[in-house]
Amino acid sequence: MNFLSRLKPRSREGSLGIILVITVGVTGLINPRFLTGDGTRDLFTSTAVVALLAIGMAPIIIMRHIDLSVASTVGLTAWFIADLCAKHPDFTWVQCFIIGPMIGMVVGILNGLLVAGLRLPSLVVTLGTLYIVRGAVYVISNSVDYNAQEMPPSLLDLGQKVFFGIMPFTFLLVIFAMLVTAWFMKYRKAGRDCYAIGSNPHAADLVGIKVFRRTFLAYVFSGAMAGLAGVFYLMRFAQVDSTAFYGQELAVVAAAVIGGVTIAGGSGTTIGATIGALLVQTIQGGLAAIGVDAFWKSAINGFLLIVAIYADRTLARKSESALLAQRIKERA
Amino acid sequence: MAQKGDLLLQMKGVQKRFGGAIALRGTDLSIRAGEIHALLGENGAGKSTMLKILAGVHVNDGGTITLGGNAFTTGSPEAAIAQGIAVIYQEPSLFLDLTLAENVFIGRQPMKGAAIDWNKAQEEAARLFSELGVPLDPKRQARGLSIADQQVVEIAKALSMNANIILMDEPTAALSASEVERLMTVMKSLKAANKAVIFVSHRLDEVFAISDYITVMRDGATVSENSVSATDLQKVIKEMVGRELTELFPKTENKIGEIALEVSDLTNPAFFRNISFTVRRGEIVALAGLVGSGRSEVARAIFGIDKYTTGSVKVNGKVMAMGSPVEAMNQKIALVPEDRRQQGLFMIAGVDRNISMESFDRLKGKLFLNFKKERALTEIWREKLSIKYAAPTNPVESLSGGNQQKTVLAKWLATDPEILIVDEPTRGIDVGTKAEVHKLINAAAGEGKAVLMISSELPEVLGMADRIIVMREGHKVAELSRKEATQEKVIAAATTGSKGA
Repeated sequence: MNFLSRLKPRSREGSLGIILVITVGVTGLINPRFLTGDGTRDLFTSTAVVALLAIGMAPIIIMRHIDLSVASTVGLTAWFIADLCAKHPDFTWVQCFIIGPMIGMVVGILNGLLVAGLRLPSLVVTLGTLYIVRGAVYVISNSVDYNAQEMPPSLLDLGQKVFFGIMPFTFLLVIFAMLVTAWFMKYRKAGRDCYAIGSNPHAADLVGIKVFRRTFLAYVFSGAMAGLAGVFYLMRFAQVDSTAFYGQELAVVAAAVIGGVTIAGGSGTTIGATIGALLVQTIQGGLAAIGVDAFWKSAINGFLLIVAIYADRTLARKSESALLAQRIKERA
Repeated sequence: MAQKGDLLLQMKGVQKRFGGAIALRGTDLSIRAGEIHALLGENGAGKSTMLKILAGVHVNDGGTITLGGNAFTTGSPEAAIAQGIAVIYQEPSLFLDLTLAENVFIGRQPMKGAAIDWNKAQEEAARLFSELGVPLDPKRQARGLSIADQQVVEIAKALSMNANIILMDEPTAALSASEVERLMTVMKSLKAANKAVIFVSHRLDEVFAISDYITVMRDGATVSENSVSATDLQKVIKEMVGRELTELFPKTENKIGEIALEVSDLTNPAFFRNISFTVRRGEIVALAGLVGSGRSEVARAIFGIDKYTTGSVKVNGKVMAMGSPVEAMNQKIALVPEDRRQQGLFMIAGVDRNISMESFDRLKGKLFLNFKKERALTEIWREKLSIKYAAPTNPVESLSGGNQQKTVLAKWLATDPEILIVDEPTRGIDVGTKAEVHKLINAAAGEGKAVLMISSELPEVLGMADRIIVMREGHKVAELSRKEATQEKVIAAATTGSKGA
């Protein structure tokens, strides 16, 4: 028991990591291919887009806001980049990596101005931009699709590049983004301001936190990540049409929430969000491996989300009553 | 560094309008280093507006404010903080998800290179807490902290930003006697460090115990500014209300009748044990004791909000089912809760809807609510309680604290209860309204209602109650009749559990 209690993870991310390892293990038992190098690589490749978006959205959820427009932004960027590359055969991956985030930032700036500037509810604003951006993709694309032959070979090569046999280039970037953002959120004043704003928006105004600037920049960051995720989408699928990544925004929210980013704001990390994305993908992969049909996959995903929220509330309530008990003890 | 007695802050003829409403019509205030300055006035006199102008939340429309000889830059909380003004609001504004160290240093975290130096922040916070005599754990989350400890964190924050002027809005409203004492010690040490403390309070005994100067406001203007030795309680009250208050506790002798409420051996191990008492018709029984002694929990258990493990509650001799507020209301019990904003009112709903809320059954036509009857009911209680509002549909959050409290009272009195439980009925409301609320409670008892009153204010307990039950740490430690009760006996019982004194 002593040994076990020493093993008990001290952070939320620790427990999530353990759950992830167990899930991967169980999935591996069902389908041994899952534990091979190829299986691991597939897991990372298929998680990269959602994980990157979850990292981008984590600061926003921590601020008690939300960004539903990310999936549409992925679609817009992916189509736009493919279109540009088709028209400029001299483009390499470099242009894609610069232009992608810039397109995303335009959407982010729009969201940021509406949410932070006009103080409109983010759920409604980003639901609006979700439709506007997707509508724009439909109009601009004019039903034109692009395939691998129109895309820069250097970009597709990069999409296939794998380190150490298991780590795709895209997921390496995800880990990099995760670590930088996690560091920023913990060790920079701007990052701490995000937690303060989500914890108590009213008090954030009173202590002089620059609420507009922080909120606005968080949306711009999320937009940039969505733009980059659009490029990742092309690298993975080498094909794009106007419905690319349609309706996936809630999968991103789910990944973040399952990863312990509290929807009520004030707590969570990008590391948790990334683990959350991996966890969802692993379970999906496991279910596919044992031949569960699509309805049940979707239903199990939803179930998982509710379990995550329940666990979150239970933990919060537990720590609240522990803190209360501590206070009663201090008083006695 | 300011010397003792240096003029730190001067406000002259400061004005503020909100739309058509004038909040301040010309207030003056001078604050010197090393003084504790009390700001008094009835609810709606403009104290909060004044604090908010200094805090940078509002901008004044007229008048001048000078700070250490320079013009004060208004308009943003940041600017106010930069000019050495720290504000501790009535409801502490901490970030509950963050640690105490972080709450102290939010926005001003110590840096090491490009990163926040968390170790240093924690050490500094720990040092500030122990300086204040309250060794809180800086790594602890702010969630679950008592109001008193949250204030300590706010004061540590003010110290850490090296504020010269510390504003406190009703800092003692939610504190128990020992916590008030602790806060006063802290205020004195701030004074000794040549800082200026401005505080708003409705507890006049405290004001006279600790302040050096007293400024009284009425209707948005300064009435007087005196050193504490140059004024007295009667004078201050007169200045605040603009008339003589003949009696703060207009006790009437009521006919005491049958036992209406009988609580026997009520126990909920987490909060209270073996509580027994009775309340008769026409009687006011006070539950006294420190905050946290379990008084409110007993009231909640009687009203069926919480459950209890053993014991019983009898209404008119019949045992009442446990754990059902609906049953309690059927038995004609009413509970006016302690926290009117959170538990007593629907802040964004209209005054009329709030008053009629518990009386819908009587106001209903065949299917729908009869708005005429609702309006009539509101009008009746507006008159009886002299609630002040512009229109009955105005949201209660636009009312002053005193009028909000009257609205909660009206809501429950409108149900025509036989047993009225009131929890801290006059917290945070001014003397004038206080006297009115006391009169209302007396009148309710006079109509033959049994009244159980929880109060942390001793003068209120002694002035109002026919009998006083004192609780300490979940136990009933004394029961005193009106005749035998004295301030000393109640305090002794509440703090040490001893019955004699």
